[in-house]
Amino acid sequence: MIPSDGAVKLAKEWFKKEIPADLLVRFNPREIVHAHSYGGLSKFFKGLTEGALLGTKCWNCGGPEGNIWLPPRVHCPTCWREMTWMTIDPTGAEIYSHSTTNLPGAGFKGTVPCPLISLKIPKVWTWPMSYLSKFAEDEPYIGMPVKPVFRKKIPTYTILDLAWVPID
Amino acid sequence: MITFGKGNLRVPKLSRDVYIVAAGMTDFRKFYPEKQTVELCLEAIRMAVVDGLGMEPKKFKEEVNFAEHSQFADHFGDQLLAAAKNHDYLGFDPIGNCEVKTGGATGGTAVLEAIKDVASGYASCVPVIGWERMDEVNTRQGIDYIASAACKDFEYPLGNGYTTYYGLPMQRYLHENKPLRETLAKIAQKNHHYARFSPYSQSPGDYTIEQILKSNVVSDPLTFLECCVMSTGAASVIVADKETAFRLTDKPVRVLGMGAGSHTLRTADRINMPILLLPNETPEMYKDWIKKDWPGFISFLAARFAAWQAYHMAGIHNPIRELDLLETHDAFTVSDIITYEDIGLRPYGRGAEFIESGEAYLESDLPPERKLPTNLSGGLIGTMHSVGATGIFQVAEIFWQIRNEWEKFHADEKYWKKYGKTKPEDFKSLQVPDATRGMAISHAGTGSHVTALILERGW
Repeated sequence: MIPSDGAVKLAKEWFKKEIPADLLVRFNPREIVHAHSYGGLSKFFKGLTEGALLGTKCWNCGGPEGNIWLPPRVHCPTCWREMTWMTIDPTGAEIYSHSTTNLPGAGFKGTVPCPLISLKIPKVWTWPMSYLSKFAEDEPYIGMPVKPVFRKKIPTYTILDLAWVPID
Repeated sequence: MITFGKGNLRVPKLSRDVYIVAAGMTDFRKFYPEKQTVELCLEAIRMAVVDGLGMEPKKFKEEVNFAEHSQFADHFGDQLLAAAKNHDYLGFDPIGNCEVKTGGATGGTAVLEAIKDVASGYASCVPVIGWERMDEVNTRQGIDYIASAACKDFEYPLGNGYTTYYGLPMQRYLHENKPLRETLAKIAQKNHHYARFSPYSQSPGDYTIEQILKSNVVSDPLTFLECCVMSTGAASVIVADKETAFRLTDKPVRVLGMGAGSHTLRTADRINMPILLLPNETPEMYKDWIKKDWPGFISFLAARFAAWQAYHMAGIHNPIRELDLLETHDAFTVSDIITYEDIGLRPYGRGAEFIESGEAYLESDLPPERKLPTNLSGGLIGTMHSVGATGIFQVAEIFWQIRNEWEKFHADEKYWKKYGKTKPEDFKSLQVPDATRGMAISHAGTGSHVTALILERGW
């Protein structure tokens, strides 16, 4: 992939300094595919492609009202029993915190700027992480009302199939 | 876990006294193609044995009966079972060894594991060697590898970088506690400054607050100069029982207290619970806390739990008064200010006071009992974050301070020359006068693992 006579020049560019002539640097390329199963969480990722936000609730430990896990877990971390799947009503969701990166890692699939947000959703006792796909000047801000949008047509079958936009 | 049972809050106890007897490290660089990982590890342990103990490596190895190796990510060095390669390269075979992995706290955990090895009676002399080879991939790929420590299903695809994951707590911290933005920048200023006096440091410099706040924003509000460096290098300490310790050195440093905490890998999953109080806290201090979420995004339960264990084990009731120096895992300025609160230097919400009061500075005019110089090593922002080495590097710096050897290992021209550096003309000593006790906090992810280790003069 990298011509042998190009390695010395490339090494100098890579390490941003003069490389001693007797130092040998080899470039090892790699391309890998993992077949990753969502297992018991498949229901959640399928739900996104159908426009549904699914969480889980433990009736044994989570009390009579609210306390839904999102991200969902198949099992309750307290009593290890299987939890109950339920559809979450996102009405009243707001931004709990946010940060927008200028320097994402190499695996980033979005475009910059792409605000990372944490959400506060009624009846959910976690602060799920997602992203804001539409925003205006001076947005996002803490407390900003938002609603979910789903990538139903050409889903990626990842958490990126869910995004949030301002209410109005 | 939200409610604690009796067993959860048992105060840890070692079955016998354990000591640190020597420490060593390499310098830390963004790129270190001149040396392979095993060469760097050999240099770090050789420094501990030869410069520290004044022993021939061959004689030292006759003492060793277990070893702990510490590397955060196999991805970076592209070598699974790198510990076996390292152990072999150092000539320790067939002595048993273990490779520790707890994210950014890997180094701290490796030291704790070595202490347990010795305290249990299984071993009497355990070298701990940590490293990270972060220069084989470019910075963006490096950020991606580190980000793959976040939940791959729900969080990694979104943020793709720990600076962004820490940007969330920072926005929330600024919103809830309203510190001056400048106070956070002062943490970066302090640590870059102290790094100027370390021959091992990667990012030394004197910066104005304006320069720090106006440097490029990595992920808002965190700027480039408020973030840790990405390093290649190694660090080492040697852990021993009492008999071995006093045979190898006149001035061993004793383990007084230690703790290890954990919390959900996903920051999303940190549901509310009552605040776990430290020995220096009362419920009255938090009577208004109902308005805020805890641990939420503005606290690390893992750090609180680790400090709770370590303080109870060490019998510490007032950390600022009873400790002489502190090394925190200042990966980002915001994680540092939160840590001050998690370990009880100030009540929750008031971490800024620890910086603004001058307590965190060696140079402060405050009396010694009212200050706790923090990250005189330069920390992760100024000196290094070669992840598997980091927690060990912290312990090494505290070890030297307690032995009154900071100058021996920082002021000596031979170390500056060794790394091709020039000692600053305005060099000053960062030795804490009469340092007796120090604490190191090693921290992973967004607080998924945290260790606390309290050391004191053992002679």
